[in-house]
Amino acid sequence: MADDFEPNIIGFLCNWCSYAGADLAGTSRMKYPPNIKSIRVMCSGRVDPIFILEALKKGADGVLVAGCHPGDCHYQSGNYKTNRRIMLLKKLLDELAIDSNRVRFEYVSASEGQKFAHIVTEFVDDLKKIGPNPLKEGGT
Amino acid sequence: MVDEKKLQDAVKKTVSRDDVKYVVGYEKGTYGFQVTPSFAYDPKDADKFIFSPLCVYNLAVFPMLEEKPPLRKDQEPDTRKIGVVVKGCDARAIVQILQEKGLNREDVVIIGIPCTGVVDPKKLQAQFPENGKNMDIKTGKDNFIITIDEKTHTIAQDKLLDEKCKHCEYPTPILYDILIGDEIKATKKEDYKEIEDLEKKSMKEKWEYWEKQFERCIRCYACRNACPLCYCKECMVDQLSPQWVRRSVNLSENTAWNLLRAFHLAGRCIGCGQCERSCPMDIPLMQLNKKIEKEIKELFDYIAGIDPEEKPLLAMFKPDDPEEFIL
Ligand code: SF4
Ligand code: SF4
Ligand code: SF4
Ligand code: FES
Repeated sequence: MADDFEPNIIGFLCNWCSYAGADLAGTSRMKYPPNIKSIRVMCSGRVDPIFILEALKKGADGVLVAGCHPGDCHYQSGNYKTNRRIMLLKKLLDELAIDSNRVRFEYVSASEGQKFAHIVTEFVDDLKKIGPNPLKEGGT
Repeated sequence: MVDEKKLQDAVKKTVSRDDVKYVVGYEKGTYGFQVTPSFAYDPKDADKFIFSPLCVYNLAVFPMLEEKPPLRKDQEPDTRKIGVVVKGCDARAIVQILQEKGLNREDVVIIGIPCTGVVDPKKLQAQFPENGKNMDIKTGKDNFIITIDEKTHTIAQDKLLDEKCKHCEYPTPILYDILIGDEIKATKKEDYKEIEDLEKKSMKEKWEYWEKQFERCIRCYACRNACPLCYCKECMVDQLSPQWVRRSVNLSENTAWNLLRAFHLAGRCIGCGQCERSCPMDIPLMQLNKKIEKEIKELFDYIAGIDPEEKPLLAMFKPDDPEEFIL
């Protein structure tokens, strides 16, 4: 893979935890790669797999979904249900030879700025290894 | 063998009821081995009803196609039931729809048929390509007996059986109002052999395989229309704003469509094979459906369409659901 490949990441971040966590990473001036574009959702449970597919079709190389820790979801169970959905989606992606490591689901609380920065850094490294997304419109 | 006389009597009795609109079953088609859906609005229509190994299609889609037109102020809604002739697998579709509350139990009369297996029309066509008027097929002891213009042929069941029947775990309908004949005990097991073989392929091989499949998809949505579980009022592919799946037919959109269709049936698909049978491009949709079914069984210990009281798979969770990452 060409060294200059900079992966695009779309992040769906839960308003109550991960979005604030990402904010904390920013305000505390932690360093993490600028490859992620964040979209705030009211709960990780709002993330329909159709959003993830849409991001992948529109050119994202990876999609991060981050929500509250188990037991902490503002709406009780959104994160648990999303866990089920994303696990299945990943199995299906692998079956269709779309590397399921392009999709990540993580628990990031409002105080875990450090964890957020770490996840994004690691994700960018992983995606550089995986290479550009084949599902991109106009690509193969 | 299913006693057709018994079936016809059951249909007659059912459509004679005031609270039944019609009964859907099978009748002989116009030529060859064809079998088509048959609708009885009147007891005499029931004389056409048949059941043979050609009755592979899942008719559970029909109650889902009922239009509910807006009513005028003084109009009563039509609450009449629809009678459906179902095999073991088809009945699971109804159980699943009841679980999702897509139908209420009192909306349908289920005429159940304990099933010994049906044939795959494509395999039959390949073996007997002739097209006559007098063609029939019966289930023998461990073969199928085929008659074409008075000539009989026998052929091993394995050669013609539909894939789903080779692994059928629910030959007798789980839920029914009338059962035609005696219950048949399950003797087979789903082994997911084909799926495991696919899983063993490398990423590159998988990509090439599915690229070849999806590139042929013409996005006619026959697979969706034929599926009893695809009953959304507005399917995501028909939505314009936001338009999740573009109208253009290309590999990226086709892949998205097929992936989303399969995903929408996760924990709901009961494996009747109607989608794949309806696909004019022979895309192996069952491989996707079965893959998900297998994962769901392994991850969540869940089987679709066997318990109308169970909660839908993706509408619930267990605190000890597996997670793929380590905290
Ligand atoms: S029936 Fe076949 S060709 Fe038509 S949309 Fe479905 S997969 Fe594509
Ligand atoms: S997806 Fe196919 S196999 Fe599954 S229920 Fe629908 S038509 Fe039947
Ligand atoms: S593909 Fe999805 S949205 Fe469309 S009818 Fe089937 S379940 Fe509903
Ligand atoms: S509110 Fe954060 S995951 Fe539900």
